[in-house]
Amino acid sequence: MSVTASLPPEQLQQALSRSRARSASRWRILVRTPGRVIALAVVIIFTLMALVGPYLYPKNLPINASDIYAPPSLAHPLGTDFAGTDILALIVTGARYVLLAAFIAAVVTLVIGTAAGLGAGYYPRSFGRPIMRVTDFVLAIPGFPLLMVLSTIWSFGSPLQMGLVLGITGWGGIARAVRAQTLSLRERGFVEAARGLGLPGRRVIGTEILPNVAPYVSMNLMIQLTGFIYTEVGLFFLGIVKYSSSNWGVMLNNAVFQADALTNPRSLSYLLSPLICILAITISLVTLANVGDEIFNPRLRRI
Amino acid sequence: MAARTEPETQTGTDSGIAAVRVRDLTVAFRTPEGDLPAVSHVNLDLFRGQITGLVGESGSGKSTLALSLLNAIPSPGQVIEGSVELGNGGNVLALRGRALRKVRGTDIGYVFQASQNSLNPLKRVGKQLLDVGRSHGERDSRELIRRARDLLDDMGLDATRVLSSYQHELSGGMRQRVGIVFALLLNANVLILDEPTTALDMLSQAQVLEIVRKVHATRHLTTLIISHDISVIGDLCDRMAVMYAGRVVEEGPTASVLATPRHPYTRALLTAMPRITGDIAEARALPGRPPDLSSIPREGCVFQPRCALATPGCLETEPPDTIEDDHRFACFVTAAETR
Amino acid sequence: MKLTRWIAVKIVTGLIMIWVVASAMFLLLRWMPGNPAQTRYAELILHGDTPQQAQRATAALYGFIPKQPLIEQYGHYIWQLLHLNLGQSIQEEGVPVSHIVATAAPWTLIMCLSGIVASFLIGVTLGVASALRRMTKVGDGITWVGAIINGIPTYIVASLLLYVFATEWAIFPQGGTVSILYTPGWNAGYIGNLITHAVLPVTAYTLSLVGAWILTTKSSVISVLGDDFILAAELRGIRPLTVARYILRNAMLPLFTILSLALGLMFSGAVFIEDVFNYPGLGQQLLTSLNDNDYPVLSGAFLLIIVSVIIANFLADLAYPLIDPRVRRS
Repeated sequence: MSVTASLPPEQLQQALSRSRARSASRWRILVRTPGRVIALAVVIIFTLMALVGPYLYPKNLPINASDIYAPPSLAHPLGTDFAGTDILALIVTGARYVLLAAFIAAVVTLVIGTAAGLGAGYYPRSFGRPIMRVTDFVLAIPGFPLLMVLSTIWSFGSPLQMGLVLGITGWGGIARAVRAQTLSLRERGFVEAARGLGLPGRRVIGTEILPNVAPYVSMNLMIQLTGFIYTEVGLFFLGIVKYSSSNWGVMLNNAVFQADALTNPRSLSYLLSPLICILAITISLVTLANVGDEIFNPRLRRI
Repeated sequence: MAARTEPETQTGTDSGIAAVRVRDLTVAFRTPEGDLPAVSHVNLDLFRGQITGLVGESGSGKSTLALSLLNAIPSPGQVIEGSVELGNGGNVLALRGRALRKVRGTDIGYVFQASQNSLNPLKRVGKQLLDVGRSHGERDSRELIRRARDLLDDMGLDATRVLSSYQHELSGGMRQRVGIVFALLLNANVLILDEPTTALDMLSQAQVLEIVRKVHATRHLTTLIISHDISVIGDLCDRMAVMYAGRVVEEGPTASVLATPRHPYTRALLTAMPRITGDIAEARALPGRPPDLSSIPREGCVFQPRCALATPGCLETEPPDTIEDDHRFACFVTAAETR
Repeated sequence: MKLTRWIAVKIVTGLIMIWVVASAMFLLLRWMPGNPAQTRYAELILHGDTPQQAQRATAALYGFIPKQPLIEQYGHYIWQLLHLNLGQSIQEEGVPVSHIVATAAPWTLIMCLSGIVASFLIGVTLGVASALRRMTKVGDGITWVGAIINGIPTYIVASLLLYVFATEWAIFPQGGTVSILYTPGWNAGYIGNLITHAVLPVTAYTLSLVGAWILTTKSSVISVLGDDFILAAELRGIRPLTVARYILRNAMLPLFTILSLALGLMFSGAVFIEDVFNYPGLGQQLLTSLNDNDYPVLSGAFLLIIVSVIIANFLADLAYPLIDPRVRRS
């Protein structure tokens, strides 16, 4: 059932130009400062890296025992590591793990957290209380110590496993936020109208509430992504989780504890390369989340 | 900075003396796309001892006009020109800081709509009343509370209960009345009520109007009521003014304006009201929509786009005020009508 | 009276949470691949201990007897817990876990609490400033800085602080709680040195949370500034100072959610900060016990962390109705 089909031609024109104006202004918000454009570019580059990176290099990166910790050169723009492997290659191939695990974690928190939040917010008296108790419990437990304890019974080394664990321990924030939104939306006119029409709860949630919660959730998710990246890198950095091949966190771990990069200037590139990548992507995600905030919160607009 | 300790006593009627004189007031919102006129060249007198009503649709500028009486236009709004003079001398728009704060509260009292949360949700009503008093240099808490109790009793409220309540514990009608108490605590003699009956049920509406009438009489106030509801204005006010697109298009004694409306907009408003008796088809809505700030005509009469009586001359110049027996209106066409 | 009932419910909920976590720890010890208790038991038998001796030795170490039925083990475990007996360390033979975590806990708690207080004071002040000066360079600058600091991982912040202030410019010591040159006690030298050693870690804790305070305070203040009652107060001629107090107290309310989460967040950061600065707190205990496979200590430290967080949350929940009359029950 298309809305546009039922509008007379002039109103259709008006509606189209209104929505065109809306996407135009959203684009303007996005490109308002050069910083934001850079942030978008950074995220796109790293996503591409994660998608195609491993295909650009052979499965086992070449090692070269005679070229350890080489300084940056034309052949190795970022230098080499303790086994003579090109650091740039390590970065590009290592991106996949970091981003994939974070993405999986985001999906898991999205599913669990949104479901919990919608349920608790739409049925505050029946589902609400038990769900919120569980949510508060999950939220209260400090994430990193919990992951440390979990690592004793399950070594979640693969991206899928890492993503699952991070997701299962981290959905509390989204659940709380979605619940708050749902509670307030529930009292709004259009939702009351839908309920008054006797539409089943599931239908109302799906068609009325979910679309309104979605933009807010997607912004929240971007911030959560930074948290996931930082947590998984932390787990590798402290050696809590072991992984066979390389990723940025493993590189950091090797750089600090094996290569002693903090005091040895030769291996500085080995430390800085993954570090800068991590910082770049987290700052970019934070900037893009600000963009989303401005788009969906007109009060903050400057135009 | 001490407030008046007793309401001013008046003898007889004081009509003819303006407690508030608005002259050529123009307020605009400054945006990157230009100035949007909210109030344009408004002249209005609020006469002492009288209740004046201000009628208009949303966006007509009536709330902006009311706020300008207290020099409280929120940015990006700005007063472009004009003056608001109080009876005891002085242009409110020229005041700042302490002097302005003194006027707000001791000279003019402003009452918000009931639907707005005009009280600090974290503090009890009594404490907030004391805050108002102390901000104006009144140190005697007991005296303030005594005055508050008297006012609350006048409003028909349980003084003890209300004073110790928080805002969320009060109903809409109670909040409206508490708002009036706040406005009169320091014995202001000008009272402005912004949409006092909107968001209230019919019974509460009647109650509030009764209270306003009573309080106005006992304290010899000068009252301004802003409403989009003509029936409220017609019921309570001695004089009324009609606003459209930031201009006062008609103004005069209520009886005169309602019986013989002279501006096409006023006539349209009255025609649009369905009567309790009679055929509902007699009520005709005014075609078109009220202009938003950016679409107000810059030349000629502002009402011209929707006016059935418009002539080519209406497009060129703004109609000047025509005055007939204390009844003022701005229209070329109706001015030429024979009575 | 509803108030006491509400408190009672909160206490019971807290105890249930502790019980759930404790039980989870219990199951953890048994689910670990290569159940260390069993391994130990087998080792001892191999060395010639009688089954009873082996059982008792394992029980002393792990807090339970491997051969008993699960329910009995569980009962024994809970009983020990209620007596605040968390078992014994494997790494340091015979040392009670409760002793280890009890000596480590104060270091972490004092650091975390200082961090929470410092970040709150700095963050709220900056947040208010950025709200009042929004749309200006200062306001936007503060917001930007707050957002960036919020996004940088704690270990990077801690490592940077160590590198810049303790290695490059050796202003502060590189780690540890206090130099051995000073005798412990209430003397200025000792206390001063303690503080010098604490500056960088506390700074790291502060930086980990200050961003969140700044951003939340800013949005909260902006939201309150737009509220009707502020305009109403100004129209009633209320003094600017009083209006400012109205704004602040109303803006503080949403900050409470952060306060409840603060200690939990701090504990997560503690693992990194105590590692970088070699601070013998609970975070470091978690790390060392994990690396040493010293499960009783790991379990005990984690349990203590959970208990602290639950108590902190309980206090915060208790305090909230005092501040916001709209949630009071009576």
